[in-house]
Amino acid sequence: MIRLRGVTKSFRDAGRSVPVLRGVDLHVAPGELVAIVGPSGSGKSTLLYVAGALDRDFAGDATVAGVSLAGLSEEGRAALRNESIGFVFQSFNLLHGLTAAENVMLPGLLRRGRTDAVPALRARAEHALEEVGLAEKADQPPARLSGGERQRVAIARALLVRPRVLLADEPTGNLDAVTGEAMIQQFAALARAGLSVLVVTHEERVSRAASRVLHLAEGRLS
Amino acid sequence: MTRARGLLWIAAATLRADRRGAIVNAAAACLGAASLVFFLALGLGVSRAVQRMFPSDARLVEVVPGTALLGDVLGGGRLDDDALARLAALPGAAAAFPRVALRVPLAAPGPPSGIAYSWPAGMTLQIPAVGVAPELVASDVRPGFSFQDPGPGSGRAIPVLLSRRLLEIYDKTIAPAWGVRKLPPLVSVVGLELPVKVGLSIVPHRTEPRIADARLQLVGLSDRVPIYLLALPLATVRRLHAEWNKEDLGYTQVSVLARRPEDVPGIVAAVRRMGLSVDEGEREAAERVGTVVLVTTGALAFLAIAMCALAALAIAQSLSASVRARAKEIAVLQAVGAAPSDVRRIVLLEGAMVGLAGGIVGAALAVALAALADRGAAAALPDFPFRPETFFAFPGWLAALGVVVPAVAAVLGALAPASVAARVDPARTLS
Repeated sequence: MIRLRGVTKSFRDAGRSVPVLRGVDLHVAPGELVAIVGPSGSGKSTLLYVAGALDRDFAGDATVAGVSLAGLSEEGRAALRNESIGFVFQSFNLLHGLTAAENVMLPGLLRRGRTDAVPALRARAEHALEEVGLAEKADQPPARLSGGERQRVAIARALLVRPRVLLADEPTGNLDAVTGEAMIQQFAALARAGLSVLVVTHEERVSRAASRVLHLAEGRLS
Repeated sequence: MTRARGLLWIAAATLRADRRGAIVNAAAACLGAASLVFFLALGLGVSRAVQRMFPSDARLVEVVPGTALLGDVLGGGRLDDDALARLAALPGAAAAFPRVALRVPLAAPGPPSGIAYSWPAGMTLQIPAVGVAPELVASDVRPGFSFQDPGPGSGRAIPVLLSRRLLEIYDKTIAPAWGVRKLPPLVSVVGLELPVKVGLSIVPHRTEPRIADARLQLVGLSDRVPIYLLALPLATVRRLHAEWNKEDLGYTQVSVLARRPEDVPGIVAAVRRMGLSVDEGEREAAERVGTVVLVTTGALAFLAIAMCALAALAIAQSLSASVRARAKEIAVLQAVGAAPSDVRRIVLLEGAMVGLAGGIVGAALAVALAALADRGAAAALPDFPFRPETFFAFPGWLAALGVVVPAVAAVLGALAPASVAARVDPARTLS
């Protein structure tokens, strides 16, 4: 579940404050896929990073996966991201020195408390890759994968720790039409499985699969 | 698995991903470690060689009679039984052992019995000797032998001790110079007997009216025997002086054994107040050489530490560049659950692993270089007395130091880049 109330955020530019989000209210329930559309520079990514506990410099209330972000320590925010939030980025953001399986293992390696040993974690990563249809690519570095394959690796990484919230930033931006459509269907399936899925995009085709479509313009949602 | 292991895995994977950078950084640490271990091992090895050359006992003070004028003024100067008792009672003194130079000439007209030896025809070897208290050299007497006066007319050989260093000098200097055989390797000379004539001198007019045949038996080797003297039991020297009507001139030297090395300065001062002198020739030589070795080793170790510091700077610069280039990857790590403290630890672990790897390779390299240097020295240097088999010493702690110092230097070098990495703003970097 994602709940934002009166979220406001500004950037400093040349000594003056430039508002990006102006009192945003948003609620994404479990099982819901919400698409936020809007032009470039409208603050979609900023909104996503606030909801993903990556950006702490904002005003207003934000509760994600049942945890209020107000006053949460860096360690608390990192633990929340690790255990409850999955991210999928437009540019995939895979670590190039690691294989596909090693990229998927990363959230498990950063898990708090006792967790699986590396071999068990690798087995889980390979299973996650199998679920997105990339079992045979586990040992490939990202450079040897196509755009669609990289995005599926990113999804496998986001789902490794079974998050309650999935945040996607322009997930189809670097994919061809067919692959992008498959990706959207995958997000819809994840929402049906009970995740709160928030996708920011400027592509109208994403909205067809969404439960709700919200427009962000001049820092306000409508 | 704990999170620490997870962070370690990520740090190792990051180093694997940038093998070239990791190897360059490890090479810098390796250079520092190799120079540190090599120079310290050289210093320790040379110190060990110096100790063989000058085996001075830090607790022994060698007391000799004072100069006549100073002794008269201070009411002392002569080393007699009274002076011996006073020396033994000095604060900090554990015991005092007297020595008396043998004033009856002693000469060997032939080689030791029991070994084949090319003794030059007609040669007679004059043997300077000194009587020492058996307690002073008790630990140097080979088991099964005794260092006690055999008594008059017993027919038994007189036990003697030789300086351990004399054998080395004989083998490396005297034997080659005289063109005679060296001592057989791995054969103990202890137990050999040398026929001598007591009262015979090769110096004209110094031969005594009475000459007696005797045998000397080597019962051990000692560092407490002067290098060019043969040591006899003190009682034997006194007996020979009495038999050859030599006047009692007191002791020629007294070795005062201090309880602790720290007591030596106080004993030296008290000895001088008694109007006696202290023979510091050998101790001073040992201390001078030891100081030179210590200063040189210290300077080289400082240079090596400076190289480790330079390695730390190189690692700092390299990791800083790496962190700047990896800002997006660091932000991704934060997005999947790394806290700033985790990011800091990952970079520090990268530094530690690079330093450890460099240290291990560097320490091994130092051992290999030392072996090469020893081989080169063996080929290039002549066979002089006390030349060590190796100029290096590698105690276990040195290898540990060689690994730990570069690792610590690398971690220190990684501190600033780690701090920069921990400050990466994921939201801004990923946007």
